[in-house]
Amino acid sequence: MKKLLLALSLLAGMAQAEDVLHVYNWNNYIAPETVKRFEKECKCRVVQDYYGAMEEMLAKLAAGAKGYDIVVPTGFAIPPLVKQNLTQPLDKAKVPNLKNVNAAFLNTEFDKGNIYSAPYSFTTTLVGYNDKKIKELGIDATSWAVIFDPKVLAKIKGKVTVLDDSRELFAAALMYNGYSANSTNPAEWKKAAETIKAAKPYWAAFNTQSYIKELTVGNIWVAHGYSNDMFQANQDTKAAKRPFGIGYGLQKQGNTLSLDSMVVLKNAPRPDLAHRFINFMLDGKNSSELTNMIGSGNPNAAAAQFVQPEIKKISAVFPDANSMKGLQQLKDLQGKQLRDLNRLWTEVKTAK
Amino acid sequence: MNNRLAKWLISGPPLLYLLLFFAIPSAIMAFAAFRFPGDYGGLLPLVEVNPETGAREVLINFGNYADFLTWENFQRFFEEPIYIELFLKSFWYAGITTGVCIVLAYPLAWLIARSSKKTRDLLVLMVILPFWSNFLIRVYAWMIILGPQSYFSQVLNRVLAVFGIEPVSLLFSQFAVIIGLVYVHLPFMVLPLYANLEKHDMALLDAAQDLGANAWQRFWKVTWPLSLPGVWAGTALVFIPALGMFAIPDLLGGTNSMMIGNLIKQQFLDSRDWPFGSVLSIMLTLSVLLMAAIAAWAGSRGKAKK
Repeated sequence: MKKLLLALSLLAGMAQAEDVLHVYNWNNYIAPETVKRFEKECKCRVVQDYYGAMEEMLAKLAAGAKGYDIVVPTGFAIPPLVKQNLTQPLDKAKVPNLKNVNAAFLNTEFDKGNIYSAPYSFTTTLVGYNDKKIKELGIDATSWAVIFDPKVLAKIKGKVTVLDDSRELFAAALMYNGYSANSTNPAEWKKAAETIKAAKPYWAAFNTQSYIKELTVGNIWVAHGYSNDMFQANQDTKAAKRPFGIGYGLQKQGNTLSLDSMVVLKNAPRPDLAHRFINFMLDGKNSSELTNMIGSGNPNAAAAQFVQPEIKKISAVFPDANSMKGLQQLKDLQGKQLRDLNRLWTEVKTAK
Repeated sequence: MNNRLAKWLISGPPLLYLLLFFAIPSAIMAFAAFRFPGDYGGLLPLVEVNPETGAREVLINFGNYADFLTWENFQRFFEEPIYIELFLKSFWYAGITTGVCIVLAYPLAWLIARSSKKTRDLLVLMVILPFWSNFLIRVYAWMIILGPQSYFSQVLNRVLAVFGIEPVSLLFSQFAVIIGLVYVHLPFMVLPLYANLEKHDMALLDAAQDLGANAWQRFWKVTWPLSLPGVWAGTALVFIPALGMFAIPDLLGGTNSMMIGNLIKQQFLDSRDWPFGSVLSIMLTLSVLLMAAIAAWAGSRGKAKK
């Protein structure tokens, strides 16, 4: 009996000694082969946990969740993490691959000087469309007019969905009116709300949940959504051998960009492994695997050479210098501004 | 003495459960409704850890309570008509759902109650069967059925075209929301009605027939009044959950199908305004209580008249 106990305790000790890295990431946001290679290299195990929204992640960490080493927040969620004292500064000496990151994605206002965060991947918010229908109807999808101008919408009434997300939809309406996506000017917000109200009767739904499927089966012809999702929808139409594809591109008035970055948590059990992981993910080849899997934008300059040529061609995934100028990251709203937007949002959503 | 102890022992755990998971959260919500939202969700803290000393400090006191407690959230609810309108709309949806459920469930419950023992069990099983698959999967199935590419939609639109009616789009409409609400809640109407109808004494109907009552009179004068407790139980089980539903309008609804549940969810998740979300929840609870009170009052008045 004693021997058995001893053996058990030894086993337990061994299990504890095994190196484990806990990554808390977006769902479907890392290529399985990348994880396997990292596990081999560091002789450790990667345990992943997932979230579907920033609010979910912030709420869980704010409520005191422990045991995670790394999270992958979108830009606007970094300041709340820092402000709540949940992060630790990156040890730059341990992440030499940070040099691979395209300068356009460094030193953002969410983390000046990249003290806490290393860019991981990005998506753009844009218009995806049924390429056959749009061509037939002669609609120009490179302008936000395709979801906001009643004259254009008259041709595709009931075949359009927009994101059920107040920030994203208002940003698009603001840019359509020639304002900054981050405007907080009440008059400009009001104008954007008017734009949304005028276009709303032509939309089928506010939809964040199922527009990939609706596009793929041909129920919806134009959808306001995320570049990764449009990539997925296009893959799905190919797999299902549909007579159409899903096209997508940036709008000439500008688009929003969501940059996700890797951050080491303050109470990370294994900051050493966390830094190793970040450096590993910043390697060009490793970083390219996610882009090849889900068609996400890649802030890593060294990754481009490993990305499939047909993905590299897509301007929404690999924007050129000129398109980059039109991309804005959404800032976090707080207090009164958030409440004002919320009021406007309820107003436009309940408007007849 | 022993008897009383046994009673408490048996009823204690469920009572405690309800107290813990209903009364206390409700009290927290009532308190939250008077507070300000925190920057990143939650509430503006009343207690803060001093970063230098690490000690907890209470921020609120008699002098500054106005910075922490407010009527503003309630004011906002009443000063703009959109919230009340949304409430009325949700009541309308839930009311229609309940009405349709009664009309559909009554004959079905009657059929089940009057079947032979064996068929009865089978029929009840079939009513419960949909619960074996997940609620969201069933709603997604409706998205496929109602989608314009489905056979159902295509056949329907062909038929409409014969009569010269423009094709209709079923998915993403108020119609789709009502279909979804009725589908999900129908079993909750059938089961209490069945439980009630099954107990009716058939001799009463025979007696009514002997006394010259026709089929309609037998139903309206005998069966219906006796089944009212079942109808009320079903109504409560359908109306209240339908009122607070948010997933169905989200998935099946169009641009004009928002319900009060969606607004509450929006406050807690997207807008991070827990206090206003709490106000909306409290108002929802109060209006349901008010409706129940009116129904009870109407019921007692109806009895008094007889």
